[in-house]
Amino acid sequence: MSLVEELKAILGSDRVHSHPLELLVYNKDAGVTTGAVAAAVLPETTQEVAACVRTARRHGVPVVARGAGTGLAGGAVPTEPALLVVLTRMNQVWDLDGTTAWIGPGVLNLDLSRHTADKGLHYAPDPSSQAACTIGGNVATNAGGPHCLAEGTTVAHILGMEMVTADGDVVHLGGQSPDPIGLDLRGVVVGSEGTLGIVTKVLVKLTENPPAVRTLLLTFETIRDAAATVSATIASGIVPAALEMMDQPMVIAVEAFTRGGLPVDAAAVLIAEVVGLDAGVAAEAATIERIAVEQGATSVKVAADEEERALLWKARKNAFGAVAQAAPDYYLHDTVVPRTRLVEVMAKIYEIGDTHGIKMLNVFHAGDGNLHPLVAYDAREPGMAEKVRAAAEEMVRISVAAGGSLTGEHGVGLEKRDLMTLVFDPVDLDAQARLREAFDPDGVLNPGKILPRGSRCYDYGMAVLSEGEE
Amino acid sequence: MLKQELARLAKGLFAEPIPGAPPVEHTIAPTLAEEAAAVFRFASEYGLRVLLWGSGAHQAMGNLVTPDLIMTTAALDQVVDWQPEDLTVVVQPGVLIVDLEAKLEQQGQTAILPESPGVSTVGGTIAAGLSGWRRLRYGPTRDRMLEVRLATGDGRVVRGGGRLVKNVTGYDLPRLVTGSFGSLGLISEVCLKLWPLTTERAMVHVDDPAAALAASYRPDAVIESNDLATVYLAGSAEEIAAQASAIGGEPSAGHHWPDPLPGRTEAVIRVPASAVSAIVAMIRPLGVAFQAAHGVGEIRFVADGIVDEIGALRKTAESLGGALVVARAPDDSTIERWGSPPGSIELQRRVKAAFDPRGAANAGILPGGI
Repeated sequence: MSLVEELKAILGSDRVHSHPLELLVYNKDAGVTTGAVAAAVLPETTQEVAACVRTARRHGVPVVARGAGTGLAGGAVPTEPALLVVLTRMNQVWDLDGTTAWIGPGVLNLDLSRHTADKGLHYAPDPSSQAACTIGGNVATNAGGPHCLAEGTTVAHILGMEMVTADGDVVHLGGQSPDPIGLDLRGVVVGSEGTLGIVTKVLVKLTENPPAVRTLLLTFETIRDAAATVSATIASGIVPAALEMMDQPMVIAVEAFTRGGLPVDAAAVLIAEVVGLDAGVAAEAATIERIAVEQGATSVKVAADEEERALLWKARKNAFGAVAQAAPDYYLHDTVVPRTRLVEVMAKIYEIGDTHGIKMLNVFHAGDGNLHPLVAYDAREPGMAEKVRAAAEEMVRISVAAGGSLTGEHGVGLEKRDLMTLVFDPVDLDAQARLREAFDPDGVLNPGKILPRGSRCYDYGMAVLSEGEE
Repeated sequence: MLKQELARLAKGLFAEPIPGAPPVEHTIAPTLAEEAAAVFRFASEYGLRVLLWGSGAHQAMGNLVTPDLIMTTAALDQVVDWQPEDLTVVVQPGVLIVDLEAKLEQQGQTAILPESPGVSTVGGTIAAGLSGWRRLRYGPTRDRMLEVRLATGDGRVVRGGGRLVKNVTGYDLPRLVTGSFGSLGLISEVCLKLWPLTTERAMVHVDDPAAALAASYRPDAVIESNDLATVYLAGSAEEIAAQASAIGGEPSAGHHWPDPLPGRTEAVIRVPASAVSAIVAMIRPLGVAFQAAHGVGEIRFVADGIVDEIGALRKTAESLGGALVVARAPDDSTIERWGSPPGSIELQRRVKAAFDPRGAANAGILPGGI
């Protein structure tokens, strides 16, 4: 039997897609790369996932897991014709205990918080795509979001998982108890972009809703003043729940889209949010306001009620949608720098935009130094795509040169795979390749991602010996 | 010949035998990751077993290692780089926790490492995967591990992560080494995420710790011991007053953490947080000293003279998906250190082999004798 026939025997023909037209939906993510899909399957149980993996292996076809496809780094875009295991149908929530729940990888991020709202709980990591992205995809990328500043990224909220291995076996990693004994394989699987296994159930930690929230909109005449406010706030001993920056081009784009009353004449705005007890948030909000004014803020507005707060966040989280309306194509970047270097790196990023003559908009997680320069362009314009790509690489390079790294939350995927050598030595990459081999010796899970080709070839022993001789 | 080669390799790095350590012919104190790697390379080549040593505070954890050599982190004892404005610090493993925290406190910061560390080193605490009481509020130590340099069991120096508070570039080696008990190699440097110290701290004694936990908003810790249950609060004076009133108790200023447990043997039960009260109800009648972290799921207790009961407690912990592990024990203790190994044991074995294929680094220390 062919691969597709076998898969249809396992799942039924309605959950196996192999027609080229059907596969068009699956050959790309929300980023800019396109890949090749041999077939796409929609399993509903762990056993079905395991059977699909074993079947693909028998046919010598690699396996790529996929959630909602909102990734931007090509993590779920196959580099060679692969079996795409689409996990969106595995979207059950099994309540377990007060503050943890076992859920399927296909549960949407925002749905999880909605599901637990009546218990006064939420799932803390909140990527901007949270209305569409799945928890499985969040686990794969170790996704972030504005509220990861105080709460940590996805890995701090995933206590355990059930995973189908490269052999099609099922293992359980981590668990509800603190510090499960043995090596922390859970921590390695989070952020591994589907290269170590396919996560089929996730044990999530839920966070108590804060009794009080205060959200401030701070307006500045220069990016520098806004960035200085970020640094001074962190230095003052406050770790806000979120600290987000938008520059003027982005504010203009967003305001045209959401009409939230953002100041379109400001060079930059900060959205700062503090959470906690009433007494605490009042004091912290006052401190942030004082710091902002000291740093030159031209206006400080506190969201008066939940409605105003929701509107501010709507503006922030719809930023990318707003840009999509304004330009036919956009390329959203993700680099990270020490937060003390924000001002200088931002200045260089604008220079790069000017040099290449491309339109740059910025909205990012200023509090943790996670930059998201966004290039709006028209790919039909001759030479434009090349310009955009060249600018992208320059932005990564200047971030790394400032002590930063390739990606803060989107993942390496395909997009930054070949830039890994900017931050890691051959020995480091070789170690990562060995770690991956321990999970997937034959390289069948999402091959070609994260690590550049040749990572495993570094023969440290020979290098050491030749150095050590004489 | 072997000895000569070691003498050449570790020239100037030999240290005095460590009191209390297993008897070995050589104790080596590398000053650089590369030197540790060279020792490991040598050990891997000749099939020697290296035992890693910080201050010895947690040596009773994990299966017994029978070493040919001891490698100590005593000469890797520097705070390498502290960036207060970025809330990060880069530190070598041999630094004592008390020293690091005292230094950080000068600028109102903390690494949230264990509060009563005794002589524990940063490296040993990370290798043992230990967290302080404040993990209820700030999460476990592993969530503050930003970057690691590791001299692997087969003699490479590998870096993973980055000196950034947010970063998903490459596989998460910093978390992998946390709690790895030296089984992958020697941690030669880590970058930790710091937190600002809160301005005010206070404690409220309560009768019902579970109810107090439910009534408060994210306290630093809720600890129940034999004769006392305490909620540890932090924040502004107004916040503390509001919390104390919600809990229904009088706050007293400052944080006084429980003294380390007495006795020769100490065990730790790790269970889902919801099971803490049930475990306490099992331990209380045994008449041994205990400390339970509500909201976390960790119950420490003195395990001398209750060998029979340990089995039942372990069975209960494991049936809840948790474990009973030995934190401290005399050398001749017969209590099994880990209990039943995890279901992912084969995968664990392969991951260990990716860093230490010949078993040079703390061989056999992990569950399942890995």
